[in-house]
Amino acid sequence: MAFVNIQKLTYQYPLLQKPVLQDINLQINQGEFVAVVGPNGAGKSTLCYALAGFVPHFFKGELTGSIEVAGMESSKSTLSEWVLNVGLAFQNPFNQISGAKYTVFEEIAFGLENIGVPREEIKKRVEDAMALTGISDLADRSPYSLSGGQQQRVALTSILVMRPKLLVLDEPTSQMDPIGTREVFGTIRKMAEEGMTVVLVEHKVEWIAEFADRVIAMKDGSVLLEGKPNEVLTSELLAENGFGISRYTTTAREAKKQGLWKKETLPVTLDEAVEGFKK
Amino acid sequence: MYVARESGLHKLHPLTKILFTLLIITAGITLPGDWTGYFLILLIVLPLAYWGKVFPNLVSTAWKITLPIAISVILIQSLFWGKGTPIFEFWIISPKIEGARYAAVSLGRIFLIMTDFLLFSMTTRPDTLMIALKQVGMPSSIAYIIVTTLQIVPSFQRKASTILDAQRSRGLETEGNIITRARAVVPIILPLVLGSLVEVEERAIAIEARGFNSNKKETSLIEIHDTQLQKNIRSGFILMIVGCIIFGILWRL
Repeated sequence: MAFVNIQKLTYQYPLLQKPVLQDINLQINQGEFVAVVGPNGAGKSTLCYALAGFVPHFFKGELTGSIEVAGMESSKSTLSEWVLNVGLAFQNPFNQISGAKYTVFEEIAFGLENIGVPREEIKKRVEDAMALTGISDLADRSPYSLSGGQQQRVALTSILVMRPKLLVLDEPTSQMDPIGTREVFGTIRKMAEEGMTVVLVEHKVEWIAEFADRVIAMKDGSVLLEGKPNEVLTSELLAENGFGISRYTTTAREAKKQGLWKKETLPVTLDEAVEGFKK
Repeated sequence: MYVARESGLHKLHPLTKILFTLLIITAGITLPGDWTGYFLILLIVLPLAYWGKVFPNLVSTAWKITLPIAISVILIQSLFWGKGTPIFEFWIISPKIEGARYAAVSLGRIFLIMTDFLLFSMTTRPDTLMIALKQVGMPSSIAYIIVTTLQIVPSFQRKASTILDAQRSRGLETEGNIITRARAVVPIILPLVLGSLVEVEERAIAIEARGFNSNKKETSLIEIHDTQLQKNIRSGFILMIVGCIIFGILWRL
């Protein structure tokens, strides 16, 4: 039995004419790091909300099919029960700051206070989580005084500290520089290896190729393609459907037409491209 | 709003301070005497601000907030006061002494409420207030609303100035005569309001994702220090608030 099990999920927001998610079937194992890619409006964020319980509990609307995480079914749970298992961080870090806390340390502690963790344990867990995401030095700063990338790390840490079984991230590194992105991907990878299941929406395909176990390509509310990162991200289908493609893939595909790329598979990352062109 | 300082006022329990704030406002409104508001500011609020080491901050903020209100109240009350002794007459403009006096009296109350709340919010960390309110049984959602409202003003200002800059860089005229300025209001207010509505939804999701509506008994990271003396004083404040209200009603009968 898969850890995350989505069966025939179709969902329509209230006031919208057509479904945003159509007949989605998805199984994810525990500890798997799954990346979701797709053009704007493909339903990626809605899928995140569905996994995190906000669709349909928060947004209402019509949902058919089922979403199961860790043996619990979304439609049979309340949102406040659901969030204990599934953590969600999304793109805009500014709106994820609670606005009720004075320092980053307290901001990260907010979730643990809400679920009634004792004071000493809160301190320990917040310190550990901050060390994990590399923001220990921000502990005493005001969350509002941080840069976008730093705020995104705080938002991610605020969810990680709650130790969800399933971590859902919707473009968590959109405002970070490459070094920051690498560190955060490294952290997420480590969490996955320790048994946390991760679903990540991300446009930076080179990072996905390096870190994720599996890629799901979505278009118009359905799953277009699914499989190993390199197979999916270099597929001709993605290029034809307006997905973001790594420039190394595009270059190698052109080179292949000219007979300059000898390998069977196309690269996604710089290293793969360099290695391939050396042959 | 909060100004971090080491002072006796800062160290007091948030409930002590909020009850005292409410007491001063109630007193200013219910006690007889036209100039009570001004007296309370001079004799209580300002000395406390000095003790709390926020005197310059309080004065400069209060000044900025109350000046436009003061001008509009004085203009409206004195110009549109019905019958009375005119200060001077020019064409159809004839401000009345009675109107100006009424404006000064009501401004005393407005100033008092303003400076009193500023003093409270400058010397009280919003999160400690939230914890204190929850400890006395206030639902956490209401405590959250109160606390975030105290914090929202600076963030609202920041957003407004970002929008102002953005619209200016697209060629919006924001300086010049009154008509040009008036026309610039809509392209600034509209994005501010719509943006805030979107923000509210996202923030609701974000705090929900962090267990805000969990049924578990909440804990708090920060400990707030309370003393038996302060508890007794707080009971005294409550009695005095009630006393002021009763007195105010009886006196006006």
